[in-house]
Amino acid sequence: MKEILVIGEIFSGQIRPVTYELITAARKIEAFFIRAGEDARIRVVIPASDPETPARKLAGDTGIDTIGVKITELETYNSDLYIYCLKKLLKQLNPSNILIAHTSQGRDFAPGLALELKSATISGVNGIRSEKNELIYSRPAFNNNKNMLLRPAAGPLRIITLLPGSFKADIVKAIKPGTVEIKEIDFAPTTYKKNRIRHLQSRQRSGENQALKKAKIIIAAGRGIKKPENLESIANFAQCFATAAIGASRPLVDMGWIGYKHQVGITGATVAPKLYIACGISGSSQHLAGIKEADFVVSINKNPQAAIFRHSDICITADLLEFIQAFLKVFINKKEQP
Amino acid sequence: MNILVCIKQVGNDGEMNLFDRHALEEALLIKEQFATKMPESVTITVVTAGPTTAAKVIRRAFGLGADRGYHIITKNSEYTSSLVTAYHLAAVAQRTHYNLILTGIISADMMAGQTGPMLARILEIPCATGVVKTNLNFKDNLIEVERERENGWRDIIAIDLPALLTIQAGINTPRYPRLSNMLAAGQKDIITIAETEIEPTPTRETYIGLENPEKTRAGLMLDGSLFDKAQQLFTILKEKNLL
Ligand SMILES: Cc1cc2nc3c(=O)[nH]c(=O)nc-3n(C[C@H](O)[C@H](O)[C@H](O)COP(=O)(O)OP(=O)(O)OC[C@H]3O[C@@H](n4cnc5c(N)ncnc54)[C@H](O)[C@@H]3O)c2cc1C
Ligand SMILES: Nc1ncnc2c1ncn2[C@@H]1O[C@H](COP(=O)(O)O)[C@@H](O)[C@H]1O
Repeated sequence: MKEILVIGEIFSGQIRPVTYELITAARKIEAFFIRAGEDARIRVVIPASDPETPARKLAGDTGIDTIGVKITELETYNSDLYIYCLKKLLKQLNPSNILIAHTSQGRDFAPGLALELKSATISGVNGIRSEKNELIYSRPAFNNNKNMLLRPAAGPLRIITLLPGSFKADIVKAIKPGTVEIKEIDFAPTTYKKNRIRHLQSRQRSGENQALKKAKIIIAAGRGIKKPENLESIANFAQCFATAAIGASRPLVDMGWIGYKHQVGITGATVAPKLYIACGISGSSQHLAGIKEADFVVSINKNPQAAIFRHSDICITADLLEFIQAFLKVFINKKEQP
Repeated sequence: MNILVCIKQVGNDGEMNLFDRHALEEALLIKEQFATKMPESVTITVVTAGPTTAAKVIRRAFGLGADRGYHIITKNSEYTSSLVTAYHLAAVAQRTHYNLILTGIISADMMAGQTGPMLARILEIPCATGVVKTNLNFKDNLIEVERERENGWRDIIAIDLPALLTIQAGINTPRYPRLSNMLAAGQKDIITIAETEIEPTPTRETYIGLENPEKTRAGLMLDGSLFDKAQQLFTILKEKNLL
C-alpha cells in the first residue's frame, strides 16, 4: 500500500486554501499508482495545537481520512518542533510521498525534514506528470525563464513542496466525510532542544491593500521603470482609465520607491481586476501568483523573450516610457476627434 | 565572532546571486554596528561552491569588506542538488569557527530555497528562512529576527546562536565595492578546497532537463511601429469597454 500524505497548513486556526491544492496533486499521484496496479491511499495530516476543528472540516469537505496531530506547544509555528514531531509521526506511518505547501512555513521546515528522514526532495513544484511509467516533477528555474524537470531517486520516501497556485483546488463536496483521528505527540526534551527558537510576536505590515484587491483596472510597474521618477509616467497612463489603481512588483517596494500597499504577488496582494497592465515586469512565479485571477493581462516589455509574455493576453515589445508616450498621444487624439 | 556568508555565482554575467548580496550586506552592517561595542571584533568569512570562475564573487566580497574566502571547486554543471551543495558548505563550516551563517533565500538559477535549511540541519543548528530584519543580541548569545509570512504578516522570533538565517530582499540596500578595496582584494588569498577532498553525497533526485514553461494566456503579439501598437491597444481596450 502506497501511503500519500498531505501536510495541511493552518494559519490562525483556519485551513489554508493551498491545502486543497495539495490534495489535487495527491490525487494525481494516487491515480498514477493505481494505474501502475498498486494500492494507494491519501491521508491528510494537520499539525496544530488544536487540530480537531480543522481536521473535521477537511475530512468533511474532501472525504479524505485526516489525522490531527495535537501538539500543545504549537500555538505558533516553530521549525524545530515541526521537524521533530513530523519525523516521529512519519516513522509510524511510513508514507511513500509527502506533499507540503511551498509557503513561508513549508519551505522553512521541508528541507530539514527531508534531511532528517534521508528522503528525496524536490521543492517549488509547479507540475506533475507521468512519462514512461515514472512520475516527473517540474519546477521553475533560471529566473523563471525555464521549467526544470526532475525525478526523485528510487528510495522509500519523497518529499515534494508545491508552489501555491499551481494546482486547482478540487472543491467537489464529498458524499461521506473522511475519518478523523487525533494523535498526541509527546516530546523527549533531552533529545529535543525545543527552546532554540522562540516566537515573540506576529504582526501584520501596515498599508492596507484592499483598494488594490478591489480594483477593476490595475496599471503595474516593475523594475523596468528604472527610476522612481518614472512612476509619474505610470500615473499618467493610469489617468487614461476611469479609475485605475497602481500596482508594483516587489523590488520597487523593497527599494522604497512605492508603498507596500501597491505590491502584487505572493507576498503582496492577490488581485482580480478586469484589466492588468504590467509595465516592465519580467514575470516571476512570485509575481504571477498574484495575477492569476485577472481577466485580461497586457504586458509591455522591451525583451521579446520575457516570461510575462507567456502569461499575457496582449504582448507589446517596446520601451515602456516610449510606449506610454505614444499611447497618451493616441488617447488625446481620439478624445478630441471621436 | 565570525559570520559565515554563503555566496553563489549565477547567470551569464557570473554575478553574485541577488539575495546573497543582501546576506553579505547584512553581515557587513552587523560588523560595522559592533565594531566598537564588542570585546572581540566581528569577522566575515565567505564561502562559495562552484567552478574556477566563481572566484570572481569571492573577490567581490573581499572588495566589499569580507575578511576570508573559501572556494570549493566543483565541476561546471547545468544542475546542482541543494543537498550536495549543503554538504560541501558544511565541510567548510566545520573547518572554521562560526556564530552565525547567512545564505540567500533562493538562488536565481536553481531556485530551490533548500540549501540554507539543509545546511542548518547538517550542522544541527536552528534556522529561520525569509528573514527581513535582524537584531543581534551579543550579550545573550542570540539573534532576534523578523521572518516574512504571507499577506504582509511577520513573525518576530529569537534564535540562539549559532544559527542560520536565509535572507530575503528588502532587508537592506547592498553597497558597491570601493575601487581601492577592489584593488586590495585582488591580492588577498582565497582558500581553495577540491570537491574530491570532501566526502561525496549521493544525490537524491535525477535531473532530466529543461523546457519552456507553458503559455497560460493567448499571448497576442502586437506588430508595427510604436504608434501602430499604441493604436491597436487603444482599439482593443475600447472594444472590451475598458477605456
Ligand atoms: C519568497 C519570495 C517572495 C516574493 N514575492 C514577490 C511578490 O509578492 N511580488 C513580486 O513582484 N515579486 C516577489 N518576489 C521577487 C521575484 O522573485 C522577482 O524578483 C520580482 O518579481 C522581479 O520584479 P520585476 O519583474 O519588476 O524585475 P525584473 O525581474 O528585474 O524585471 C524587469 C523587467 O523589465 C524589463 N525592462 C527593462 N527595461 C525596460 C524598458 N525600458 N521598457 C520595458 N521593459 C523594460 C526587463 O526586460 C525585465 O523583464 C519574491 C521573491 C521571493 C524569493
Ligand atoms: N554553490 C553555492 N555556493 C555557495 N552558496 C550557495 C551555493 N548554492 C546555494 N548557495 C546558498 O544557498 C542559497 C539558496 O540556494 P538554493 O537552495 O539553490 O535556492 C543561496 O542564496 C546561497 O546563499
